[in-house]
Amino acid sequence: MDGTSQQPAQTMVKQRHQSTMTGDPLFKGLVLTTGIGVLLVLGAIITVMAVGGIPAFKAFGPGFLFSAAWNPVSQHFGAAAPVFGTLASSAIGLIIAIPLSFGTAFWLTALAPPALSSVIGMAVQLLAAVPSIIFGMWGFFVLVPPMAHYVQPTARHLFGHVPGLSALVSGAPFGTGLLTAGLILAIMIMPSITAVMRDVFVSMPTVLRESAYGLGATRWEVMRQVVLPWSRHGVVGGIVLGMGRAMGETMAVTFVIGDSNHIGWSLFAPSNTIASLIALEFPESPAGSLKLASLMALGAILMAISFITLWCSRVLLVRSESQAGKR
Amino acid sequence: MNSQTATRTPSSRSRSLAAQRKMMDRFATVLSWCATFLVVFVLGSILWTLLKNGLPGLTAALFTRSMGAPGQGGGLANAIVGSLLQTGLAILLGAPAGLMTGIYLAEYGSTSRLARAVRFVSDMLLSAPSILIGLFIYMVLVAPLGHFSGFAGAVALAILAMPIMVRTTEDMLRLVPVAMREAGIALGAPKWRVILFICVRAARGGILTGVLLAIARVAGETAPLLFTSLGNSEWSLDMRRPMASLPVAIYQYAGSAYQDWMQQAWTGALLVTLGVLIINIVVRVGIRAGRT
Amino acid sequence: MNGQAMNSTMQAEPLDTNTAQATPLAIQVRNLDFYYGKSRALHGISLDFPERSVTGMIGPSGCGKSTLLRVLNRMYDLYPGQKATGEVLYDGQNILAPGVDLNQLRSRIGMVFQKPTPFPMSIYDNIAFGIRLHERVGRSEMDGRVEDALRRVALWPEVKDRLQASATALSGGQQQRLCIARTIATRPEVILLDEPTSALDPVSTARIEELLDELKTEFTIAIVTHNMQQAARCADQVAFFYLGELVEVDSTARMFTTPRESRTQDYITGRFG
Repeated sequence: MDGTSQQPAQTMVKQRHQSTMTGDPLFKGLVLTTGIGVLLVLGAIITVMAVGGIPAFKAFGPGFLFSAAWNPVSQHFGAAAPVFGTLASSAIGLIIAIPLSFGTAFWLTALAPPALSSVIGMAVQLLAAVPSIIFGMWGFFVLVPPMAHYVQPTARHLFGHVPGLSALVSGAPFGTGLLTAGLILAIMIMPSITAVMRDVFVSMPTVLRESAYGLGATRWEVMRQVVLPWSRHGVVGGIVLGMGRAMGETMAVTFVIGDSNHIGWSLFAPSNTIASLIALEFPESPAGSLKLASLMALGAILMAISFITLWCSRVLLVRSESQAGKR
Repeated sequence: MNSQTATRTPSSRSRSLAAQRKMMDRFATVLSWCATFLVVFVLGSILWTLLKNGLPGLTAALFTRSMGAPGQGGGLANAIVGSLLQTGLAILLGAPAGLMTGIYLAEYGSTSRLARAVRFVSDMLLSAPSILIGLFIYMVLVAPLGHFSGFAGAVALAILAMPIMVRTTEDMLRLVPVAMREAGIALGAPKWRVILFICVRAARGGILTGVLLAIARVAGETAPLLFTSLGNSEWSLDMRRPMASLPVAIYQYAGSAYQDWMQQAWTGALLVTLGVLIINIVVRVGIRAGRT
Repeated sequence: MNGQAMNSTMQAEPLDTNTAQATPLAIQVRNLDFYYGKSRALHGISLDFPERSVTGMIGPSGCGKSTLLRVLNRMYDLYPGQKATGEVLYDGQNILAPGVDLNQLRSRIGMVFQKPTPFPMSIYDNIAFGIRLHERVGRSEMDGRVEDALRRVALWPEVKDRLQASATALSGGQQQRLCIARTIATRPEVILLDEPTSALDPVSTARIEELLDELKTEFTIAIVTHNMQQAARCADQVAFFYLGELVEVDSTARMFTTPRESRTQDYITGRFG
């Protein structure tokens, strides 16, 4: 380096106004801080739930997880019934939603005339945008009466005397209960599962699809034997994402679940999910009470379950994305 | 059938296989049509139910009167205004945070560990049970202050709105061509100016889309408001006091046995749904128009 | 440029050492190496850019000519993993040294890109954006500066009635002239052009080339081009790059008539690239 290059950088400035280099670190610091803030929000949510639930875990020990009691009079609370209700209603929802979503995604990507596909695709997305309380009202006023008057009586008539199946259809015909909640959940999570499926189906390279058709495969065979295996990570990721959403759903379920802390085989029995129990019981839980602590503990459990689920779905979806990127 | 014809025409076995394959394809096709029809039917049924039950209650009084006791001829004015206020404040709080986090992810973090963690957590929050957000805000804002408030409701909604805006902001900024950034840098503009005045500007349509979707999402939320803004049957614009909102009012009225409350619940539901769906349609049609 | 003009240039500049002494140098590149991560893209480049003249940089794709251009305004700083060693002397200072104010540097060494890059704002604001970065300018002075810049690139008559219209609505050639106007509006000393006409039609290309001829009376210009005719038409000196090395640099006339290196000859006559 010669003598002239040793001069300080300030010679660059000339008559223009001073260095503009300070804005950048400042701005970067600002956006970095908000980014970290997002992490802190989740950390705070986890901490608050866990800390709020400590009195309940202390009072009942690990038995809290396995007890089906929910008795504000005797101050006995347990998580088993709402956890069962959450898992059961979500499972029913998934069983119904998976074929529905798959069928719709298959139709949208392989069968539909292009003009119709975009319109119906939009309708499916609009279904996802309907607020959950609307699903609750619709479920309560439109779905519950036929469930009570036709579906359950028919089911009892058909399966009531079949050993093994009779337990599934027993109970009084309220119309509310696990199956109705599952149906509502299926309708609610179906659009997001369909959207993920459609995206991964479409992201498959056209060459693969065309070479399968070139071998003389039917549309169904292409879907079943080429598209589906190729996009399995994304499909499973979308399903798990739907499950995560179903378990945390509150308002729609609250309307149709029947509000009863009960574990049993019947699909038609009223039940409760963690979210619906919190929504229904919280207003009657004074601050500092053991009941409130139990609700917080349930919240912590729900958070743990849904975050694990969402984490799995995220991992699967990222894997599916990187696969699509590679090929 | 002699051996010569057997080589030319497919054997009966492969013919039945072909028929079977065709049947299977037909079967799958029919089921697929059914699934799609069912989905559209459900959406139609929801809209029809809302219109049928909600339209009769669509009167001027609904928009001019506050909620009242059954039979007193109340309206939903305070709930509508409460919803607008809380949603508006939620976006005011959530949009800057969402925008800046999106900028961080797209422009600074990209593949760093921290950025991946932030992206991951933001995606988690996007699908987190909304009732837990309400519970969380109750514990940190309502219980310590000793009262429910419209502000607490808005904060809960802001946490729900933010991840949507993070996502769209990041995605849209990534679509801005590198050449545009370099051109700004080449003029001697510092990076922050290039981001704010060129990249964000270039992506503004998409970012606005995210804000609209966030509005649509939180405007219909009920669960996070139950324990935060609680609801209020009187006219109140004070964010420090309990505040009514349309979804919570619907929830209260829909469970009641009074004819006029039920009517208002349906009409309120119609209003919320139409608002949310119209925003969604505008956004999606806008996106499609922007693409072509 | 016709054959006669070429001959006269040759006679006027018998030796390149003389040219170097005759015109002061705006930029001196000394022993420059450049790395994309571990792979080396430039090998020991030394090249002078005389003031107020056009230096054309030619060579096949991937030869490093654009890379060199992006070193001169340190554009590579945007990308982690890219690094340059050696010296680039500008205004008596090594601009590769740490502590250089890059924003100031880039305001003095402007750049125009292959594809037009109008910012998503009005025509007026596109020009004003660069000026506002470095100077505080009043409303009427700004109007004057914008008009002046647009006149310099002969865009003023075409856009004077719609200065507030979006710049993205202009045609490709107009957009590129706008980008040049935007660059000269900040009053740089050097302008780097990275294949500025490769995305344009022949008419627009001709206008830009004419423009370069005028601009070189005031600015030092470095232009990367794929188009040999363009280099011959516009440049005063031409540098030929091949596989990250500077093969040869000479006055335009000599480069295209009597190159010293056989590789240059081959490229110019179209045997590769």
